[in-house]
Amino acid sequence: MRNGWREPSRLAVGGSTLAAVVVLWYLATTFTQIIPPVYFPTPAEVLQAFRQITVQGYADGQLQQHFLHSCWLVLMGFAAAVGLGVPLGMLMGWSRRAEALINPVFLLLRPIPPLAWIPLAIVWLGLGDAAKVLVIWFAAFVPAVINSYAGVRSIEPYLIEAARSLGIRGAMLVREVLFPGALPLIFTGLRLSLQACWTTLVAAELIGAIVGLGHVLYQAGLDLFPAMIVVGMIGVAIAGGLMTTALGRLEAWSMPWHRR
Amino acid sequence: MSNIIFDRVARHFRRNGVDLAAVDGVSFEVRKSEFVAIVGPSGCGKTTCLRMAAGLDFPTAGSVTVGGKPVTGPGPDRSVVFQQFALFPWKTVVENIDFGLRAARLPLTERRERVGRYVDLMGLKGHESAFPHQLSGGMQQRVAIARSYVLDPDVLLMDEPFGSLDAQTRVVMQEELIKLARVSPRTVLFITHAVEEAVYLADRVVVMTRRPGRIGEIIDVAKVRMDEHWDRHERVEDVMDEASFVHLRTHIWRLLREQQSRNEQ
Ligand SMILES: Nc1ncnc2c1ncn2[C@@H]1O[C@H](COP(=O)(O)OP(=O)(O)O)[C@@H](O)[C@H]1O
Ligand SMILES: [Mg+2]
Repeated sequence: MRNGWREPSRLAVGGSTLAAVVVLWYLATTFTQIIPPVYFPTPAEVLQAFRQITVQGYADGQLQQHFLHSCWLVLMGFAAAVGLGVPLGMLMGWSRRAEALINPVFLLLRPIPPLAWIPLAIVWLGLGDAAKVLVIWFAAFVPAVINSYAGVRSIEPYLIEAARSLGIRGAMLVREVLFPGALPLIFTGLRLSLQACWTTLVAAELIGAIVGLGHVLYQAGLDLFPAMIVVGMIGVAIAGGLMTTALGRLEAWSMPWHRR
Repeated sequence: MSNIIFDRVARHFRRNGVDLAAVDGVSFEVRKSEFVAIVGPSGCGKTTCLRMAAGLDFPTAGSVTVGGKPVTGPGPDRSVVFQQFALFPWKTVVENIDFGLRAARLPLTERRERVGRYVDLMGLKGHESAFPHQLSGGMQQRVAIARSYVLDPDVLLMDEPFGSLDAQTRVVMQEELIKLARVSPRTVLFITHAVEEAVYLADRVVVMTRRPGRIGEIIDVAKVRMDEHWDRHERVEDVMDEASFVHLRTHIWRLLREQQSRNEQ
């Protein structure tokens, strides 16, 4: 069903919607000028800005550099958050004692929006990459922990009892029962984490950065250069979209049993 | 092979600060390679008894021993078939059946041989690499039964294994279980609320009373089955047509009904 005729037709619908938006954009800004170019750039201007940033560069780098740098930071922060958050969340889900120990810290940290950590991160680590990775890590960490915790808790108790009476213990229990059982919710957490990563990264780069898509946005704002702002926004959208798609692929691939 | 002895077993739960006796003073034995079924109204403590034999729950008073040793937890000598099948959704049919063998660190060749045998016996050929959700309920329960038998346990504990199957599938599974019990006899504690199922499958039927669960009566079916040659029939319905079968069934029905009315008064 999913790979039959539905997939191409969905692509076609998506493509035509996108094309329609571009046409409307052209009509509104260039043809009729309902939206004055001071507020929103025309497609031609955006194309021009795109050419400028890819060839000559803008805000101390070419688009590729900004794009890859931002992706790299998100990946680092995300990986660190997942690598630490998923095991911690699973441990809390499994052991009441671990939960009792760690949960109070979480109750304290959870209401603090990740963006509120940016100033402290800058004070600690300056305007470089380390501060950004720290903030991204923090943004992704909380959803990763909470959903892994919920994932382990969502496993039917009779499945764990079945495992115990089959003699499954230790690493085998974690790897082959708890982890796959928690996986659907773990992925929910990862999707939330990834979104939070991008939000936080752009915010952190807006405040201060040397390269990165957020830095492009910041510079273009200072220069009153709407076309470049739009290029930066499209860059963020594409980077976020690519990573979300990759995560979706990974999810489908790692849970062949999971019917949706 | 091992026997199971329940000796003056009681299990109390605390619920909202109130003490609730789920089972009280239960004593009976499942002898070596005997098939014993417990019947009783829902909530009378059947599952609680089985869980105590499985080592998933423990008595408040009295003792449960398997093969002469008190039960201290789950063990490879006992395996459990749950009403909800309890298959691992992320494992294929073969992986589910093989799981306990891997945990026991059996060599690959032996695992292959044993899994293959039970795939054949339970009619699972062709479904080896299916995931549980791709199978019907009856097929899923075959996998669960295979997963228990393949471990070659001394004792099998089954908690309403056919309870969620439709009537036709249920009958087929009952026949399969009888066949399996003949091929490889085991000590079986089988829980059901279906009286016919109990009489058809069991050597003895333990009738439990409404809460707190106690033993009402123990009925020797094996003797009647032998004397009346039920085994000459291949099909459930032919056995159920025997006058001796109807007689036993009605007797157990009456026992359960009496409790019901006593309870309502
Ligand atoms: N973990 C538990 N906590 C509190 N009460 C329980 C628990 N398990 C079972 N009970 C109670 O014990 C009684 C017997 O339950 P159970 O053994 O499941 O009955 P059956 O299997 O015969 O339907 C029921 O009243 C049930 O509510
Ligand atoms: Mg029950």
